[in-house]
Amino acid sequence: MPHQCTDCGRTFDDGSQEMLSGCPDCGGNKFQYQPTSAVEETAPPSEEPPDPPDPPVDSSVARTVGNAATAVRDLVGSSPSPPEPVEDDSSDPAPAPAGTETGTASTGTEGVDAQTAMAEDNAQASARTEVVSKDELPPAPETPKTASQPAPVVEEDTDSTAGTAPDAADTSDERDRPDLSELRDELNDQFESIKVLDPGKYELNLMELYDREEYIIALQEDGKYTIQVPERWEDS
Amino acid sequence: MGLLTNLKSSIARAASTLFAEEESKRIGIYGPPNAGKTTLANRIVRDWTEHGDAVGPESHIPHETRRARRKEDIEIERNGSTVNIDVVDTPGVTTKVDYTEFLEHDMEKDDAVRRSREATEGVAEAMHWLREDVDGVIYVLDSTTDPFTQVNTMLIGIIESQDLPVLILANKIDKEESSVQRIRNAFPQHETIPLSALEGDNMDEVYDKIAEYFG
Repeated sequence: MPHQCTDCGRTFDDGSQEMLSGCPDCGGNKFQYQPTSAVEETAPPSEEPPDPPDPPVDSSVARTVGNAATAVRDLVGSSPSPPEPVEDDSSDPAPAPAGTETGTASTGTEGVDAQTAMAEDNAQASARTEVVSKDELPPAPETPKTASQPAPVVEEDTDSTAGTAPDAADTSDERDRPDLSELRDELNDQFESIKVLDPGKYELNLMELYDREEYIIALQEDGKYTIQVPERWEDS
Repeated sequence: MGLLTNLKSSIARAASTLFAEEESKRIGIYGPPNAGKTTLANRIVRDWTEHGDAVGPESHIPHETRRARRKEDIEIERNGSTVNIDVVDTPGVTTKVDYTEFLEHDMEKDDAVRRSREATEGVAEAMHWLREDVDGVIYVLDSTTDPFTQVNTMLIGIIESQDLPVLILANKIDKEESSVQRIRNAFPQHETIPLSALEGDNMDEVYDKIAEYFG
């Protein structure tokens, strides 16, 4: 029973086509994959707390690509587009980041086809090709949004450069994909614990908030905030 | 004389038991916004304290709780023994706060922006408490919503990495669309207890588990 509906618990055989249009019992559209050899692997999340939600093991490439894309997206920018719900993790995976994360996913659709045609049935092969197909991917959905993020303020000493945000967004709109330096900048941004996107709009980096010893006690609209410094910092 | 000695030793024994029991465990109630954390905190306090003061106001508007609120020394009796806990009701943890969300609830823009700022400070405070100040966690989830979220996974992961005892509660089982199984599947490494904090359903089992996990 490799697939199990996460809503009602109904199970499906590997490659079952029943679940392609949702669970026949409850209409749920989330399934977890449970290979018989991996029953004991139900508790790995404790080893990597900051990772995105993927508690059960799922061996299908479709799911792997989705997870990988989520992992990279979470790593690169916790919110590529502000209104997007967090749990939407499989509908718009970015091809390039996914490839770098998994290795296998970057072989392209032909490679996957050749590799899987013999060992798997149509449903699985179809699932693989559909997910990696470029037709279904929005053209570079994340780059412009994330590139415009560095301007807002975070650390306690800055003078909120919110005015520069539009410029940054303008120049980056023409680029399709992030180059390495952009990625690095975005990763560096992750060390910020609170971003002020606009007055009243905030993005929070929970891991960073959890990790920092000082305690944020008051935010101001210009992006400054007041912190309480631990006593043991007094020497430095 | 012998009587006096006996009396003294029994007083000493009683005193040591008393002091041992007085060490309250500080239990943080965590979870995403609108999961019912304050409703649960209020129910615990009303069930186990004489005056039954509320911990804080409950609301269907997200981020009603924007400061961690603590109620100390709640004594819960289970099977003849007692468990003392301090309950800390924390603001809902999220990765995004947007004032426009509050405008839908008939709020003026200025109020919405202020609420948003305070909510953000509240999340920072909640994360700080998690790092420094809690001995155990009650993690409250709304069983009518999808538990597979980045926030839930990250918080449960942090709690696990700290080796804190954690009790996962599937709240709002009085609602038709509630699915406890979905939460069990999301966190199979933990026990999930169903309840309705609003209606008081299954609170006996919740108190049993609080005594078992945090006693």
